[in-house]
Amino acid sequence: MSEHDTAAPLVVAENLGRNFPTRRGLLGRAHDVWAVRDVSLTIARGETVGIVGESGCGKSTLGRMMMGLDLPTTGAMRFDGHDLSALSGPEMRKLSRRMQMVFQDPFGSLDPRRSVGAQIADGLRTHAIVPGPEVKAEVARLLEQVGLPTSAAQRRPHEFSGGQRQRIAVARALSTRPDFIVADEPVSALDVSIQAQVVNLLEDLRRDLHLAMMFISHDLHVVRHLCTRIVVMYLGRIVEEGPAEKVFGTPAHPYTRALLAATPSLQPNEGSDADRILKGELPSPANPPSGCPFRTRCPIAEEACASAVPPLDPVGDGWNVRCIKAGPVAATMREVHA
Amino acid sequence: MSRSVRKLILPGTIAALIVATVLLAPVLPLQDVRGMDIPNRFAGPSAGHWLGQDDFGRDVLSRLIWGGRASLFIAVGSAIFAAIIGTALGLLGGYFRGAVELVTVRAAEIILCLPPLLLALLVVTILGAGTWPLVLALTILYTPNYARVVYAATQQVRGLDFVTAQRAMGTHPMTILVRTILPNVLPPLLVQMSLVVASAMVIESGLSFLGLGVVPPTPSWGLMIRSARGAMEVAPLLLVWPSLALAGTILTFNLLCDRLQSALDPRAVTAGGALWLRPRSAAAKKRITSLEAEADAPLLEIRDMSIAVRDMELVRRVSLTVRPGETVALVGESGSGKTLTGLAMTGLLPDTLRVTGGTALYTTRAGKAVDLAKLDEEGIRTLRGEEVSMVFQDAAAALNPVLRIGEQVAEAIRAHHEVEGEALQTRVVELLRQVGIPDPEQRARAYPHELSGGQRQRAMIAVAVANNPRLLIADEPTTALDPTIQAQILQLFAQLKCDTPGMGMIFVTHDLAVVAEIADRVTVMYAGEVVEEGPVAEVFERPRHPYTAALIASVPEGGAARLTAIPGSVPSPRQMPRGCRFAPRCGFATERCSAHPPPAEHPAPGRVTRCFHWETVT
Repeated sequence: MSEHDTAAPLVVAENLGRNFPTRRGLLGRAHDVWAVRDVSLTIARGETVGIVGESGCGKSTLGRMMMGLDLPTTGAMRFDGHDLSALSGPEMRKLSRRMQMVFQDPFGSLDPRRSVGAQIADGLRTHAIVPGPEVKAEVARLLEQVGLPTSAAQRRPHEFSGGQRQRIAVARALSTRPDFIVADEPVSALDVSIQAQVVNLLEDLRRDLHLAMMFISHDLHVVRHLCTRIVVMYLGRIVEEGPAEKVFGTPAHPYTRALLAATPSLQPNEGSDADRILKGELPSPANPPSGCPFRTRCPIAEEACASAVPPLDPVGDGWNVRCIKAGPVAATMREVHA
Repeated sequence: MSRSVRKLILPGTIAALIVATVLLAPVLPLQDVRGMDIPNRFAGPSAGHWLGQDDFGRDVLSRLIWGGRASLFIAVGSAIFAAIIGTALGLLGGYFRGAVELVTVRAAEIILCLPPLLLALLVVTILGAGTWPLVLALTILYTPNYARVVYAATQQVRGLDFVTAQRAMGTHPMTILVRTILPNVLPPLLVQMSLVVASAMVIESGLSFLGLGVVPPTPSWGLMIRSARGAMEVAPLLLVWPSLALAGTILTFNLLCDRLQSALDPRAVTAGGALWLRPRSAAAKKRITSLEAEADAPLLEIRDMSIAVRDMELVRRVSLTVRPGETVALVGESGSGKTLTGLAMTGLLPDTLRVTGGTALYTTRAGKAVDLAKLDEEGIRTLRGEEVSMVFQDAAAALNPVLRIGEQVAEAIRAHHEVEGEALQTRVVELLRQVGIPDPEQRARAYPHELSGGQRQRAMIAVAVANNPRLLIADEPTTALDPTIQAQILQLFAQLKCDTPGMGMIFVTHDLAVVAEIADRVTVMYAGEVVEEGPVAEVFERPRHPYTAALIASVPEGGAARLTAIPGSVPSPRQMPRGCRFAPRCGFATERCSAHPPPAEHPAPGRVTRCFHWETVT
């Protein structure tokens, strides 16, 4: 990884969009359903970017496109200078050694029928990371790296608890010595005490291995703890992005503020609930509101919001907001006591 | 040897015997299969001919074994050929979809349009009767069956995360198909295999019976049945032997494939026998007479309640008190027994579990005290909904998908009140409005799938509060929801509390922040035991049990540079530590902790902790 300039971003997404057209009825016209729209994003080595949003905001689709598992309808995804959609099958498979993924469900992401060691060894063998006779030793090293006993290699996934399985999944992702890891809600299926183990593990790995990491989550506390930069998504679009302390400290977009206010906290403040709770629900991506997608639930929406999608305007250094009434407001989040 | 492998022994041995017998036919000391002995036609069993002689005086036993050779070869051979071709087609079609699907699975399905027997007749007519044309005919016939089964299973498996993980790893698609998908579609494949072998034997017999299969004088079971039919009245036994052989072999293969399927599933190892056949404990279900409750009795007082499955204790000596108007949070990790405790209060424990000790005294509206832990089904049904009610985590699963929301709310009301028609409808709409469903008149006619996750949860809360229960048990009601929707539902619970001041609530959750938002008192559970309880603010401010302290520290809130993780994982119910159950993961543990369980300590009025070192925790 040293032959590249570390300052240049490793992962560059340019105006990514993904359309899943659906048809109503047998002969109905295809209906555009944009899961992701116009998302531009860069991630450098050693950086963790948090993608935050509620279900249906397109964050998982974005993650799959960043991995090259799904091809964008519009825009381009570049990894270390290669355009993923222009690569042939073998080239893509070769490149995928450097990009790995950790999934949400530790029970679904491991093959129930094969031993843990065999699954970790897959990546080693596919990309010939180590010579054949050393595979066993390398599997043992990877298991130790994620804090599991080396004897785990012979066992099947169902013999492990959720947290241990998630460690195995991380070990599998690390086996190909990736430069970039997409973690799609890796801790939301875990218990609190186990969550902390996995969060700490990811943090150590990112630091020690100088990884670029994309951390997708709906848990703002975890994202804030782990990430240097935050991207907030709503209905397929980025509504706010910037340094973690800015976005969570003085959120500029009303949705970010609402999200922060809605997150339960160990120290609840005695403010009026009505102010902080967002009305209504996420509109259907098949039939998004005109103009700003958030305007139907926005507490400060006005007529102008319905006319056009607001541009993603800078409000500070590396801090962009998609709102015509944007302005940093001291967070109403009860979390900022720290 | 595991249970499922042991179960393979019986069908495996029989199948091996059958196969060995037909394979060894040339070397076995059998009578000549074609040697006729006309004078002794239709002779019964004798020392020389164990199963008797047929219409040409040939030995039935040797014809049965040689006939099995032909029948089994055709059936098993065509089943295997069809399995190989069909699996390949199904895997390719199911994994790559699109055009590949068209030329593999869909093309194979054309064969399904033809009546099976006619197709076999066609092939045999073109190629002539005999063993190999029959194998070919049956292979063509059964290939689409396999293709369809494997195609469906492949589609299911290909979307799973572990397949995506392989793709993300850059594994070649063919390697993924063989190494990852094939083993996971094997179970349905095996079932299909057993069905095909059986059905192929029947068709082989049928065709041979019609004179289109195996050519006489080569014996086959079908031919034997055919010739025995003519002599049925003279020698009925001749019909019995080949029929028995046919039925027995088919049953053996079915059994073998079934058991092979369960032996191949690594997760089925712990699956036991028919648990539901175990008798329910009569003692625990005996009716008790309700007593007059004391004047200032709490709404619910659980004392030393234990819940066990067979001899394994999952919840041990749990105590919990809920006063009218109070919200008690029951917090703990998965496996802590918090959900079981909640379920026991509504008599909804799975049949294999039962309350093995302790009491759960509930004070009814009428001022009677009843023990929820000992009430029979009849008794608890009168309380359910009206007095004690429950909100589940997964509203999508808890609501009936084929009934409209309004009907489900109405059903709950009708269970306890005799309201009908207009009055009922008004009450339903009023309830839906109370739980914050917009446009309740319209939405009452919606089916659950037409509502969003948050709305479904609201509808389920409407069902739960339909009869103004006095105790509401909510089992992780916001866990599956997004933050902004979770905030709305928490607000709804707060509103309900406000509107019905006498209602007590047990809020089961694993999220400490939610506890801080909603509850008055908190009970922390670990590995089936209560480790600490007290008022929420006090417990969070100064936890008196190392587990509570560690849980709070592991929440990524605040500015800690590094999260405090609790090492290890929750012990399994089979191997509970002898002393304090948290001792193996606890930083404060001393020898005393692992020797015997700590008693309940009272650090302050209204607070309980079970720790020897409570004074030094914080």
